[in-house]
Amino acid sequence: MELLITALIIAAVLFGIGLYGALSQTNLVMIMMGIELMLGAAMINLVAFWRYLHPEAFSLQMFVLVAMTVMALEGAVGFAIATQRFRTSGTVEMEESAELKG
Amino acid sequence: MISIQLIFLIIFGLAAIWFGWRVFMTSSMVRSALSLLASMVAIGALFLVMEAEFLGVLQIMMMGTEMSIMAIFMMMYMMDPGGLGNMDMSHQKNISIAAGVIVTVLIIGAALATDWGTIATQFPGPHEQNRLLGMEILKRSMMIFETAGVTILTGMIASIAVALSIKKSMEK
Repeated sequence: MELLITALIIAAVLFGIGLYGALSQTNLVMIMMGIELMLGAAMINLVAFWRYLHPEAFSLQMFVLVAMTVMALEGAVGFAIATQRFRTSGTVEMEESAELKG
Repeated sequence: MISIQLIFLIIFGLAAIWFGWRVFMTSSMVRSALSLLASMVAIGALFLVMEAEFLGVLQIMMMGTEMSIMAIFMMMYMMDPGGLGNMDMSHQKNISIAAGVIVTVLIIGAALATDWGTIATQFPGPHEQNRLLGMEILKRSMMIFETAGVTILTGMIASIAVALSIKKSMEK
């Protein structure tokens, strides 16, 4: 039991750090780094649930592959937006991107 | 009793947390990217400790590449990539710290309060894991896997469309 709880606590702390980063940073690339940390924490949870609760359920490992896909896509689309912002306004600081508000 | 697995889980877990924290604590963008790379590698090592060998190796390889690309983008787009000017690029710090701490405490509380039932002791070995994951992908989760593939294609097209130069498209 202590193995599962340890993995969940590690993931919780990483998620908290990622959330702090995503909320506190003004730079687009740094915000993306926070999101990556949160997704990493979610993947630790999924692997821990697979290993310690349901090692026969490989849909949990499949879920990790989907989370990795989401991480890669978040990076690709995020950098595309950063490239466009840098072209149009010369910066990727999100405090100077108020016009993107819906 | 403290097992070897628990010791390595704690070591790599602390490494992931420490490097994750360092990402936001340095003013050098290059160091931030390298810290995130180290944190992701530590997460991959955690997967290996939890005996998910395929996912661990995949995580280390994928994140190694992605974070290297991220470091290049950081240097391209930052005015001060080395952090020599000690620029502060953060806002609403107190709210962010409060949100991070509250969410962490809530998740840990939920993890401790939940009755997780019996812990599995029997699990497939590395070869069997790969075979079973392959069968999962090709049978029950095939639609999910195909959807992930199509989503990557859509993401690639969307990224190129977003990053295209507006000036050139306006001239045409």
